[in-house]
Amino acid sequence: MNQPAEYKTRINYSKTRQARYIAHLDTIDVICKALRRLQLSYAVTQGCHVRPKISFGPPLPLGHASYCEYFVITLNQEPDVEWLKNALNKEMPQGMEVISIEHPWSDKKSSAGGEWVQYQLYFKSSATAEQAQSYLLNPDSSFEIQRKGQNKRYVLGKAVQKAELSGQGDAWLLTAEFIQGIADVPSVSKIVTALAGHLGASRDDFYLLERTSLKEL
Amino acid sequence: MKNVTESITHWELLEIEKPARYLGGEVNQAKIKTNPTLRVCLVFPDLYELGMSNLALKIFYETLNNHPQIMAERAFSPWPDFEGLLRRKDLPLYSLETGTPLHDFDALLVTLPYEMTFTNVLNLLDLGKVPLQWREREQGPIVIGGGPSASNPLPMAMFMDAILIGDGEEAIIEICESLIKTKNSGADRSSIRKELALIQGMWVPEFAGPVKKRVFKGFANSAPPVKPPVPNVQATHNRAVLEIFRGCMQGCRFCNAGFYYRPKRERPVENLVDYARQLLHNTGEESLGLLSLSTSDYCRLNELITALDQQKLFPEQNISIPSLRMNESTMSLLDSTPQVRKGGLTFAPEAGSQRLRNVINKNITEEDIISVMRSTSGSDYRTVKLYFMMGLPFETDEDVEAIVDLVKKLEAIGRACRPRKQISLSLSGFVPKPFTPFQWAAQADMSELRRKRLIVTRGLERGGSKVSWREEFLCLLESVLSRGDERVGELILKAWQLGCRFDGWHEHFLREKWEQAFAETGIDAAKYLGERQISDTLPWDFVDFQTPRAYFEKEYLLAAAAAREGTNESAS
Repeated sequence: MNQPAEYKTRINYSKTRQARYIAHLDTIDVICKALRRLQLSYAVTQGCHVRPKISFGPPLPLGHASYCEYFVITLNQEPDVEWLKNALNKEMPQGMEVISIEHPWSDKKSSAGGEWVQYQLYFKSSATAEQAQSYLLNPDSSFEIQRKGQNKRYVLGKAVQKAELSGQGDAWLLTAEFIQGIADVPSVSKIVTALAGHLGASRDDFYLLERTSLKEL
Repeated sequence: MKNVTESITHWELLEIEKPARYLGGEVNQAKIKTNPTLRVCLVFPDLYELGMSNLALKIFYETLNNHPQIMAERAFSPWPDFEGLLRRKDLPLYSLETGTPLHDFDALLVTLPYEMTFTNVLNLLDLGKVPLQWREREQGPIVIGGGPSASNPLPMAMFMDAILIGDGEEAIIEICESLIKTKNSGADRSSIRKELALIQGMWVPEFAGPVKKRVFKGFANSAPPVKPPVPNVQATHNRAVLEIFRGCMQGCRFCNAGFYYRPKRERPVENLVDYARQLLHNTGEESLGLLSLSTSDYCRLNELITALDQQKLFPEQNISIPSLRMNESTMSLLDSTPQVRKGGLTFAPEAGSQRLRNVINKNITEEDIISVMRSTSGSDYRTVKLYFMMGLPFETDEDVEAIVDLVKKLEAIGRACRPRKQISLSLSGFVPKPFTPFQWAAQADMSELRRKRLIVTRGLERGGSKVSWREEFLCLLESVLSRGDERVGELILKAWQLGCRFDGWHEHFLREKWEQAFAETGIDAAKYLGERQISDTLPWDFVDFQTPRAYFEKEYLLAAAAAREGTNESAS
């Protein structure tokens, strides 16, 4: 039996403005509906409940903006990359935009696991930005999270690789690099939540965080 | 005008469950018009996920935004966490499209889908900084209600400038054009209401008088909404909805919806197939839901399902068909249609004995249920859900025990099936609604409902069926809210002041606060719950429901005859 040809395609997109408050599972739903509206011919899974053959990058925590989200879809025909980018952009909710399309795409799985991610953290005051920088650059900074009725303590350790401050006036930018997805290393989501708690009454000076780069280790 | 969302910080939003509920920006959201003549907000008194599943909201949103002079936006009830944030920061509730406070709109069009949302309506107005009572509103939006739970408009009369009774498709445009006219002429609020009262189906408390239910006669040839907003938070009914016909001629004597949506009007198959294609293409929903009160009554159902099955836009597309009357021919139709999902079967026998099903004019027999249950052996169906009511007029303990007998028979068949079938049973107290043949019947009291419920739950203790039931107090409350007069408005107001909202949500329902509201307003529930004589004037008699009162009387007497003699005749 002839199997239809399959064309793996990686679609890189951004999630900013109000779209950063769409949860990960809802984002998957939103994207699947956008693909269906385009009536693309894509490969589907076998079984009684067919699903598109699609895989998503690491989940983006709620509230984090990002310029490096992606999903890989298996199409049944060679895509016109430029057309697909423009067409998909017309089907995205406000705040989501296709940045680029990579085709053909072959998965490059590594065995190590975990990710390296770069974030940009925006502050309204230099004092708060400096306080955040020193918190992140101190490997002994620690915090507790309650899970299933028990407190678990996390230490930043090697989670934060870099945190550089720039800016002036009321716009301060902290460019930070993290690793996550490795045993005993807290995720960026946990670290950022702890940082907001650490900033206390000044937390609203920390008004935006954007994921700008992601590499799977 | 400042967008209210700009006053909410990132960290505040992160403390809220599902913040995307409050931010809009969905695909198919209406384009913002610059300087529309009329700005209205469609207000749904429940969560975003429920409101985005509501067909009326989709109809009005598309109809109004297609009008060149009107901009229609949306607002939903905020969950208590978001309400707390708005109140703490003294921010008004706002529309999703532009973040405009509710008090800045020309009109609020409030859906009244079920009685247990009445306190949410008050909460929405209050959060939108709109005075609650029409007499208190000297400026700001005109507030217009409508929907099935407003068929008796009296309980919500003190809060609404006007209430629409019946279908809204044509009326909504007439309402907005009337508002444009009075806005352009600088009319005062009383003149605006007076003008609205001229529209058929509109009941205006200030000029209370007889009113005739609005019927959309052009329904069959009308287009349904085909480009509704696609929710950014998964909706309760996560599917594209296509209303195949409106109205129901089954004549179940307990059913308010059956009479509210009369007469029966069918859209043609050819049009429906085209609408389905547009809907799926515009929304990308994988499931198409065929909506009606009784889908089996669609004249060309086989043809429709076959045509929809052949039209496949994407591989995972499927069809969902609720409200089917189950019998063997329906089952064979479903089995032969690959796109129809076979998750669970639902029956609503409503009563356990044939005698009582005759009394309520429910046209389903025990043989139908049993033969369908047998036919599921070897099929993919795994669950069977059954709905029953208790406290029906002319009900005896034998009728209630018959529920147990019927379920036990089904359990035995389900155990023999491969795969085994799981039965779940949903029990609810009967509420005698206005504009039904049972509008004169008494509401069974709580102890009676509880006693009957225990007959069923104890009888089925060892059978393996899952049994759930509706709290008896809720049935009584729904009865008061649906059968009430203007004084019931005071009760709703007091309950809201005491903290009641989301009364339809188990985790938020505050029974003791409602009891306190009854006590503090001095409203005696018994006044609204007792049996009424056919010769009595009913509070809602001023509404011409386009089904004659004489018909309801005849049906009530036929029900009594069926109870005595076991016969089943209907006036319809």
